[in-house]
Amino acid sequence: MFRSRDFLKWSDEVLEYVLRKSPVGGGIDFVTKDFFNWATRNSLYFLHFGIMCCALEMAVASAPRFDQQRFGIIPRSSPRQCDVLLVNGPVTKKLKPALRRLYDQMPEPKWVMAMGECAISGGPFYDSYSMVPGVDRFIPVDIYIPGCPARPEALIDGFLKLQKLIKENKKGLLTGR
Amino acid sequence: MAEMWINMGPQHPMTHGLWNLKVKIDGETIVDAEPEVGYLHRGIEKLCEARTYPQIIPIADRLCYGSSLTWSHLYCLTVEDLMDIEVPERAEYIRVMAIEMQRIASHLMWLAAYAGDLGLAVGFTYTMRDREVFVDLLQALTGSRLTYNYPRIGGVAHDLPPDFERDTVRAVQYMEMRLKEYEDLFDGSKIFMMRNVGIGTLRKEDGINLGVTGPSLRASGVDYDLRKDMPYSVYPEMDFEVVTHEDGDCYARYRVRMDEMWESCKIIRQALQKMPKGRWRIVAPRNAPAGTGLGRVEDPRGEAVMYVVGDGTDRPYRLKIRSPIFVTVSAAPKILVGYKLADVVAIMGGLDMCIGENDR
Amino acid sequence: MSEEDKLGSTGVVGIEKAPSRIDENPGRRVLRALAESFPKTVSGGTQLRPGVIRAKVDRSDLYSACRTLKEDLGFEHLTMISAVDYEDRFEIVYHIASYQSRLLIELISTTPKDDPVVDSVSSVWGGANWQERESYDLMGIVFKSHPKLERILLPKDVLYHPLRKDFRG
Repeated sequence: MFRSRDFLKWSDEVLEYVLRKSPVGGGIDFVTKDFFNWATRNSLYFLHFGIMCCALEMAVASAPRFDQQRFGIIPRSSPRQCDVLLVNGPVTKKLKPALRRLYDQMPEPKWVMAMGECAISGGPFYDSYSMVPGVDRFIPVDIYIPGCPARPEALIDGFLKLQKLIKENKKGLLTGR
Repeated sequence: MAEMWINMGPQHPMTHGLWNLKVKIDGETIVDAEPEVGYLHRGIEKLCEARTYPQIIPIADRLCYGSSLTWSHLYCLTVEDLMDIEVPERAEYIRVMAIEMQRIASHLMWLAAYAGDLGLAVGFTYTMRDREVFVDLLQALTGSRLTYNYPRIGGVAHDLPPDFERDTVRAVQYMEMRLKEYEDLFDGSKIFMMRNVGIGTLRKEDGINLGVTGPSLRASGVDYDLRKDMPYSVYPEMDFEVVTHEDGDCYARYRVRMDEMWESCKIIRQALQKMPKGRWRIVAPRNAPAGTGLGRVEDPRGEAVMYVVGDGTDRPYRLKIRSPIFVTVSAAPKILVGYKLADVVAIMGGLDMCIGENDR
Repeated sequence: MSEEDKLGSTGVVGIEKAPSRIDENPGRRVLRALAESFPKTVSGGTQLRPGVIRAKVDRSDLYSACRTLKEDLGFEHLTMISAVDYEDRFEIVYHIASYQSRLLIELISTTPKDDPVVDSVSSVWGGANWQERESYDLMGIVFKSHPKLERILLPKDVLYHPLRKDFRG
């Protein structure tokens, strides 16, 4: 007898084989890889999460003078919609579990940028009793933007470097290679 | 109807800064509220006991990053009170001028975030662009855009750059022209008015009892401004008015801040005219005497106080900081009760919170 | 804080024989009234600078002194509550401002090192609520009859009080 459960399992296996493991999937990836990579790196949405002074420079970077939106960089409110987590301030021990949870909620592919001295290494408060000296102690970081506070031009430069990083590590969406 | 607690924050586009607001709602109406702060606690008061007096000036800047000159000036005032030194007059005038410029930049930053939250995105772009004018001036004066590290114990770090007076006068004229345009823009926007008038009323007695200070209290009708009533620096020489408003709602708070920008423009002009020539800094002694020092200033957000205890060495024994927002946030439950959940943005945004000084 | 600044024209602390001329200074009037109401527990009234006065009060009479300040002498605004950790005592410093007479009083109360308990003034001024919670959190001073004495800046399960001098962070 033909059951719907078997049908689902069969269609899952077929699609998995055709799209991911067989050369058909690799071929589709080969054709569309550049296009998807171009789309990803030109529409980096970061999380609307401001911690301290560098957050003001992050807000100013969206303002008319520096205007990062012409590169496709737009803040979004929900972590499920973002590609980039921009950590722009000191991380205290009270904030650490919340930040880790935010990072876990973001879908792949995702990148993390540490903006400002406080996120890189603790900044002027490195020897305080309630600080985590540097965000890369519990979250893997891709780009570091120095400065205290980092200028908006430095932030945009960091995003452009991230775009270059994404371009160099091109991966197909279907097969992941 | 069932009541439930909702967590707004720490990551929420409404909260400028990192804090958590738990509201208890019954349907859409707010029944109770409880703020939860401490996500930015860096332990500054303990840090300051391990640093020498001049090393604390950049840390004092990062207390409230929206108006950082006010805090480093307050710190220098407190330590000058402890060490009992007299600052040269030119330095006082430069300090006052820079503080009023910082006040305009801080109010514009607040207005940008406020208008952007309430849906008036054009308010965000215009005010940010005009804020750049003053940030450029302060960058020419101090060398940095956001945390300036400019006042020193005994004066200011360096003198005015060339052509500064001409640029400042031009900037102030431009600002006065733009302020008129802002009033037309915001008062003519029906949605802005609807979301502000009659919302979040804070009564005078409640405000005084709960310790609210600054524009939020002056919007409820209390005529008290530290620059006029317990003046410091060269404010007795300046001629300006204290802005108050009667209603105590969000529109009144907005109005008070807009009018304060007018008064700041006046003060900048007078400071430029009256500035004498002379030294801009004296060298302060390295060790502080044993004793206490007290400094009180009018921050753009309220009344900021610092209390330092010296013990004869070159590090402070205890530095206590009173931030205006710490007390204003604790007044939030009183103001929020009875309004709808959608009004939380307008009410908490109108109180102009900068959580850096809250958590220290 | 020299001898002439202390209360009384004879240079003796305390009020008793009123001087022959009327003292116009509002700060001294307040200090005199406070010392009159609490002769045993209020001491050391001085004027630090124009508009700022200081007095010491014993911790047993703190609550009633604060009530007198608010209701009779018109000090409606509590600005700051600080706690300082000296070698042999804790000092709790209250800065209270008066809108009407443009004054600021610095009220100092001390407790011994092993018993840091004071009365809470949050029923007198609502603004004292969070400030006392902060002093409890960071310095460990316990305020009796506070409505909700919990940690506010540090996480709730932390056991130490960081601002004390014997805490090495």
